[in-house]
Amino acid sequence: MIEDLQTAVVRLDDVDKVFNQGTGNETVALKNIDLDVRPGEFVSIIGPSGCGKSTLLRLVGDLVQPTQGEVLVNGKPARQARLDQDYGIVFQAPVLFEWRSIINNVQLPLELRGVKKAQRTARARELLGMVELSGFEQHYPWQLSGGMQQRASIARALAIQPELLLMDEPFGALDEMTRERMNMELHNIWRRTETTVLFVTHSIAEAVFLSTRILVMSARPGQIMHVVDVDLPVPRGEHTREETAYFEAETEVREWLRKAKGYRA
Amino acid sequence: MDAVTGKQTQIRKTQTRFSLRPLPHPVRQALSLLVVFILLALIWEGVKWIGGDMWRPESNPFGISHDPPFRFKIASDLNLPHLWDIFEAFGNASRRNGPPLIAVLFDASVFTFREAVVGFLLGGLLGFILGTLFAHVTLLNRGCMPYVVASQTIPILAIAPMVVIWLKAGWVSVAVIAAYLTFFPVTINTLRGLRSPDPTALEMMRAYAASRWDVMWKLRFPAALPYIFTALKISATASIVGAIIGELPSGIRGGLGGAILNFNSYYISGPSRLWATIIASAVVGIAFYLLVTAVEAYILRNRQVAGDAGKL
Repeated sequence: MIEDLQTAVVRLDDVDKVFNQGTGNETVALKNIDLDVRPGEFVSIIGPSGCGKSTLLRLVGDLVQPTQGEVLVNGKPARQARLDQDYGIVFQAPVLFEWRSIINNVQLPLELRGVKKAQRTARARELLGMVELSGFEQHYPWQLSGGMQQRASIARALAIQPELLLMDEPFGALDEMTRERMNMELHNIWRRTETTVLFVTHSIAEAVFLSTRILVMSARPGQIMHVVDVDLPVPRGEHTREETAYFEAETEVREWLRKAKGYRA
Repeated sequence: MDAVTGKQTQIRKTQTRFSLRPLPHPVRQALSLLVVFILLALIWEGVKWIGGDMWRPESNPFGISHDPPFRFKIASDLNLPHLWDIFEAFGNASRRNGPPLIAVLFDASVFTFREAVVGFLLGGLLGFILGTLFAHVTLLNRGCMPYVVASQTIPILAIAPMVVIWLKAGWVSVAVIAAYLTFFPVTINTLRGLRSPDPTALEMMRAYAASRWDVMWKLRFPAALPYIFTALKISATASIVGAIIGELPSGIRGGLGGAILNFNSYYISGPSRLWATIIASAVVGIAFYLLVTAVEAYILRNRQVAGDAGKL
């Protein structure tokens, strides 16, 4: 683990999360989570359904609060980091406002921050270019396919130039073909922006292809059971999926996920 | 990219394939209205043909003489005037040497419409403010909502005379009575609409440190608009009813309420005039409804009507 607090983009220190504490249906979602994410890393969290991986992401985003332990983002408490707009977030659903055109959806976080109109429009255009949605600025969300909507949602998350990008199964609702293409695009965006990414997923292939590190979580109560370092060269592409290291990493994750089902510390 | 343009061309193709010359939407709408009107008119006159009073050749446009086999009380010329008599009434003077009834009713409609619009705006605003307060303050919602519901169970006819006494007879009291009938649907639907955003959308706003104010005006309010417009359409017609009822105890004579009261007392000597007034009231209500619908269509013009997975 890293000694210097400043160099960790995300730091969780012995974090527990218990839902409905003190009531009859108390649920221990997360237990003894220690995590450091260094700048520029792409860290995936994978685990069985209901293992608390989304909760872990929400803890980092200060969308839920830990029952015990400390969550630091950019060296400050998670709440302060959220108020400072230190991170961008992408959910499984694109969550675009149907009454806003695509460009107005993308610039929403800038609007909330009070950025001047000319500036935010320019920034939004640039981002739409990056996610290959140029020409769709004035379209409305319902006029776009699911994959395109999710790309707009990624552009929105990047609008504030965050050092950290939180992604909660962003491609979970897409078909396999679109998903692979989106993985490629996300990889390129990650390389270009050098943003740190915390990525929750169900898909082993996706995790291995994108990540520098994969956290395998156990079934509830969720714990980080194993960490897989992915030593695949960057930039990655179609050839990556044929490399031996790719298969090895995939196998390692799969084996640990199999253990995760019955795992109790 | 292909998905969008592809879909549009496909729709266009299907249209040309299945109907060579599709009628424009407003024409179809007008045609179906006309068909229903003719049907209703046929039923109306059919009942009179079977069980009405004697048809005299000089008093119907077809010059028909007919003695109906039955005499239903409800279908007598007094209770159910012939349609042509009602339409003829519009053109006749409503009192000796006075202007034709249609002019009188037009002035009365404008008069009542004005009262109703003021009441509608007052009630709509009050309804929106109450709904917004209830959506944000749980305690207020729990404490006050039962009283708001109770207010709607009291018949307007019991409230109206009191309002007239408090505010003096005049268009202000009429507008207040119209507002009383208007605010409730707006309150309920504003509350429902402000609570309609997806939890993830609220989470997203929180993630970007949106203030309560921003969450209200950039998410909750736009999400509530379709709900609010549904309520405003109900309120538009209710406000006309409210204004007409409000005129009765106020002694205001210039509006449709006054006209109904007036022609009601002379019903025996000319039933068609009351029927004509009823038609005028309906026309005003429909016009107001259509006006609100047009505003809704303009404001919500960019939204998709049908359900969609990605929409909020």
